[in-house]
Amino acid sequence: MSQHVIIDSVSHRELRVLGNASAALGDDVMAAMALPQEFRQLQACYPIVFRRDLASGQISALALFGFESGENLFLEGEHWDAPCKPMAHAVQPFLIGRGAADDDTAQVHIDLDHPRVALGGANGVRVFDEDGSASPLLENAAQMLGDLDAAYRASGAFFKALERYDLFEPFALEVPLADGSKHTLVGFLAIDEDKVRALGSAELADLHGEGHLMPLFMALASVGQFAGLVARRNARIARA
Amino acid sequence: MNTAIHNVVIVGGGTAGWLSACLLAAKRPELTITLVEAPDIPSIGVGEGTWPTMRGTLAAIGIEEAEFLACCDGAFKQGSRFDGWVSGAADDSYLHPFTAPPAGAPEALIAAWAARADAGKLSYAAAMTAQSAAVARDLAPRQPAMPGYAGALNYAYHLDAGKFAALLMRHATGRLGVRHMAARVTDVVKDACGSIAELIIDSGETIPGDLFIDCSGLAGLLIGEHCGAAWIDRSDVLFNDHALAVQVPVAADSAIASATIATAHSAGWIWDIGLPGRRGIGCIYASRFMDDDAARETLLRYVAKAVPGADIAALAPRKLAFPTGHRAEFWRSNCLAVGLSAGFLEPLEASAIVMIELSLQALCANFPRSRAAMPIHAERFNALFRYRWDRIVEFLKLHYLPSQRSEPYWQAQRDPAHVPPRLSALMALWRDQPPSAWDFPQVEEIFSAESHAYVLYGMGFAPPPFAGDCSAAQARLDEVAYRSRALASALPTNRAILAQHAADPVLERIS
Repeated sequence: MSQHVIIDSVSHRELRVLGNASAALGDDVMAAMALPQEFRQLQACYPIVFRRDLASGQISALALFGFESGENLFLEGEHWDAPCKPMAHAVQPFLIGRGAADDDTAQVHIDLDHPRVALGGANGVRVFDEDGSASPLLENAAQMLGDLDAAYRASGAFFKALERYDLFEPFALEVPLADGSKHTLVGFLAIDEDKVRALGSAELADLHGEGHLMPLFMALASVGQFAGLVARRNARIARA
Repeated sequence: MNTAIHNVVIVGGGTAGWLSACLLAAKRPELTITLVEAPDIPSIGVGEGTWPTMRGTLAAIGIEEAEFLACCDGAFKQGSRFDGWVSGAADDSYLHPFTAPPAGAPEALIAAWAARADAGKLSYAAAMTAQSAAVARDLAPRQPAMPGYAGALNYAYHLDAGKFAALLMRHATGRLGVRHMAARVTDVVKDACGSIAELIIDSGETIPGDLFIDCSGLAGLLIGEHCGAAWIDRSDVLFNDHALAVQVPVAADSAIASATIATAHSAGWIWDIGLPGRRGIGCIYASRFMDDDAARETLLRYVAKAVPGADIAALAPRKLAFPTGHRAEFWRSNCLAVGLSAGFLEPLEASAIVMIELSLQALCANFPRSRAAMPIHAERFNALFRYRWDRIVEFLKLHYLPSQRSEPYWQAQRDPAHVPPRLSALMALWRDQPPSAWDFPQVEEIFSAESHAYVLYGMGFAPPPFAGDCSAAQARLDEVAYRSRALASALPTNRAILAQHAADPVLERIS
């Protein structure tokens, strides 16, 4: 369930947002949306994969935290064992909202049913000061939402360009685990390295001119993080 | 003569006795410690504010913070607020917070603040530390997820002294192996050198010892009566000699203040210490300037105003008379005075309990291994603590000097004849330069230069002229302003965090 409303200093004056990492606070997810502008940071921690939305046909990117639904191998109790998180996940429970039909101004919305939202109590950080001005938390969230919005709007061009050169390929990963079991991760797309290698100089110049080469290679590099993800899974099996 | 020091006998329970027992037992486990406590002498039970040192002390003796808070009705104290000390007007208030100003040259920080204060009515404490914003909102110094004894801001405690002594007693006897004897000391037997050899208790038994710690309170049973350490009266500097104390129950959802509130009145001041279940409030006064009836009326008027809904008719104030002063020597022969037996000053800056901690810190770090070394330790201890008592007397006196109040009591407080010469000289110096470590040169000063600055500039003492560059200092103050906003939104109220603590089960360690 979710209940998205525009944030306002009167009805949400006493609202507090819980900031610690925890499965109970919505961190028990296997992936989160990743945007090309943040691939450079994310590829140092997470495998980045792609997915086509069946209804719209649109492609988006994801940073993977685990191999199955609800599994976050970076979450150790109340500690998220990585130096960065995808913006779209880190900014929760805030999200971008749009006003009335013609008005395209981005607004700060909050999901009141998100487990990070608390009404009063001792935990978490206030969204508004007692006089109704935005707290530093809300200022930071608004800043991050602005960055997220801009990065999201820019991402379409990246996915289109890669599609133009037909660089996505379906991808299946064999996951051999320490307990002898084997799993296959299917349903995602990856960048076809052979096709990238085969690109001519005009095509490369085209991708470079639009600033897509850097995120493309960052996504390619992120595939190396699958080994780390498998190791985390094996460590859990060993502890169990 | 050169026998080892092994048996320590503490006379008197209460905060001083049990805290001494716990610290000695925890830091010197090789000692055999006996505490003799007369069963029928009630503890004075007023020292209910600590210093931040108490966190380290409790951790050192092995008590978890959650257990301490739950057992002693503890609350977080982040400093002292002084209302009405300058003019007595409604907006006359300043804070002496526990968190120090940002790093940097004090004269530049003070000048940077003075440049802002003209524009925005920003108090010195609010400019120098985010603690001011937290205290103004009754917030706790940390978030619930942070571990015990850790804080985003420096903090101490308010506590129920009776319950604190009881917790320390359980801890000392149950976990640290201290022997507890409920008996009255009837006589003292000395050896040929004049040292205490043994105590005789009311059952006729004797308790021999190598070192005796006198925690018998103002009576000074060993240090005064039997060792003859003289008492140095300081009431020529600090005039207050009586207190009327009450405990006022509070509603379960009322705010718990983050600071001790000290409100000045015409001939003294009123303390107000907020615990989860009650507020301890007391009117301190100088009997030379105020009679008991007027003090009672002052106290009850304060309670009626400060604690909405309090049942004034049900209050029965308890009167205490106290001397102001300290021993000339705290350690004589093999007897050391700790707590009220060493000295007593008005509780304006909660110096009583911290002096117990400091005394034990000095003793544990320099514990005499032999009789021969005892006089050397005693001489050093006496010199250090004479220095510290002098500094406390002067720091307390400082709170009266920048006042503009016109009542006879306040005028007498400012009379140069009643100001220690060293303090008079410093006050003259501080017109030209801010308080600095040069004024307080000891390694472990009891009150830092920063504390003196909080009082001075909190009371409107003019900042010294400064011609240097304060752009870096302005940047520090900008950081404090941002941190003030961040902490004000991130910290829970005292009530909310203590309610959460109370709901958590406390697992008492048995051994």
